[in-house]
Amino acid sequence: MVGPVLRAGAWPAVVGISGVAVVVGGCGGAFPAAATVLLPICFALLAAAAAFTLDEPASLVVDVTPTGPVRRTRIRAVALLAPLAAGALVMLAAAMRGLALPWAATGLALVGNVLLGFAAACVVRTRTGEPGATAGAAVVLVLMAPSLVPQVARWVRTFPAPGADGQSSDHVWWIVLAVCVVAIAISVGGRSLPRWMSSVP
Amino acid sequence: MSATLAAARPEAAAGRTTFVALAAREMRRFVVNPVFLFVVGMTAWTTWAGRSPSVTEIDTVNPYPAIFLGGFGMMATFWLTRSMRASEPVVGVTPTALSARTAALCTVAVVPFLCGCLTLFAFLHFHPVGDSVYGAFSPPAQVAVLVGQIVVPSLGGPLLGVALGCWVRFPGAGFVLFLILYGWVSLVTILSMSHPDSTPVAVLRLFAPFAFFTLHGNAADVTAWRGSPWFFTGWQLALCAIAVLVALLRGAEGRARFRIIGTLSVVPVAAVIMLVLAGTGGFTHAVTA
Repeated sequence: MVGPVLRAGAWPAVVGISGVAVVVGGCGGAFPAAATVLLPICFALLAAAAAFTLDEPASLVVDVTPTGPVRRTRIRAVALLAPLAAGALVMLAAAMRGLALPWAATGLALVGNVLLGFAAACVVRTRTGEPGATAGAAVVLVLMAPSLVPQVARWVRTFPAPGADGQSSDHVWWIVLAVCVVAIAISVGGRSLPRWMSSVP
Repeated sequence: MSATLAAARPEAAAGRTTFVALAAREMRRFVVNPVFLFVVGMTAWTTWAGRSPSVTEIDTVNPYPAIFLGGFGMMATFWLTRSMRASEPVVGVTPTALSARTAALCTVAVVPFLCGCLTLFAFLHFHPVGDSVYGAFSPPAQVAVLVGQIVVPSLGGPLLGVALGCWVRFPGAGFVLFLILYGWVSLVTILSMSHPDSTPVAVLRLFAPFAFFTLHGNAADVTAWRGSPWFFTGWQLALCAIAVLVALLRGAEGRARFRIIGTLSVVPVAAVIMLVLAGTGGFTHAVTA
């Protein structure tokens, strides 16, 4: 069961976006002056990649099979290793280049970004079989809001500032992680049959 | 011969009527799109917020119309174009050619373009030409900078979205391209800060659909970077033409396809010439005033 469920995943999208994220993050490592701009973009792309892990083009068939949504989601969550590994690779490359970032906070931001993308996909998956595009776009817009609109950055920080005395994003990500876990639990637990199918006599 | 011409005229008129109806329909769909409404609201808000006298240079305000009308406009038209795929089995059997439907989609870009023009007038109202926020550029060059930063991205972004939607099947391509372009513009701008007098870095900075022309460092003065704003606008317009041609190429047949390919072999050359002139023209080194 694990093999077919994993094989049916949107691997080209997950791996492709993760690859683009590695290139963007690699540029952040290569040009340290641009790291604080490029690494958040890299992490937003990884969140978008995570949003594609639950895409199921054959959802009309798959959703009525005996394999429940909890088990399917758990198997598909293995695909999150791709964006997480890509993010870890970027962080490793940046650390080797001597970038002065608070690495624990950056790691937490990476996990938070990826889990946010996955949670958004879980929520949207209750309504559609292919949540990747919608959830990915929504997550990217939310994550990029502090970069795009400086007024938002005054209130919320999604990426830790470099240096020892830089502003932390930890409290934001701990809250996001807690909310994501709850959202995933509720959406996976409540997803038995699509709404339109449950109304069929 | 006159009989043939007489028969062709009503056909052309019918084609024009169909095109106008299609364009009006697509424009209606675009205008009521929540993303576009959000874009208009954010552009108005950022322009209004940028009227403050504490604004020391244009680049603290100007990227927002390009981000919202251009970047988000690109995502909106990408989704609009992709939404046609779902109805392709029905729409595909109508007598209207795919290229006519694509051309109708391209006309949608007129709406954000007009919004960009309004934003430009609002910006000029708050920061008149000759103000110190423009740096050392001459008044005509100041207008060219604003046109290249506000108006043309508002046109080009949505056109790029249509071209992308016509050719790329991946549904996340819109936001991925937006992030790539945002990252690229940020990277080359940061490079320009450390190498303000380098010609290759100036060309790299201008090798983008949007470029900054001024910098306000810690000093009180504004630094005007290398590059010609007029030729940069020409480069941007050439990119717009390429986007339209690439979009129209999808589904084009016969003579129309031949003509599009012929034009596509010329416009990129013009674009490269414009880019080189933009990079080598203007100030020969960064000027602080």
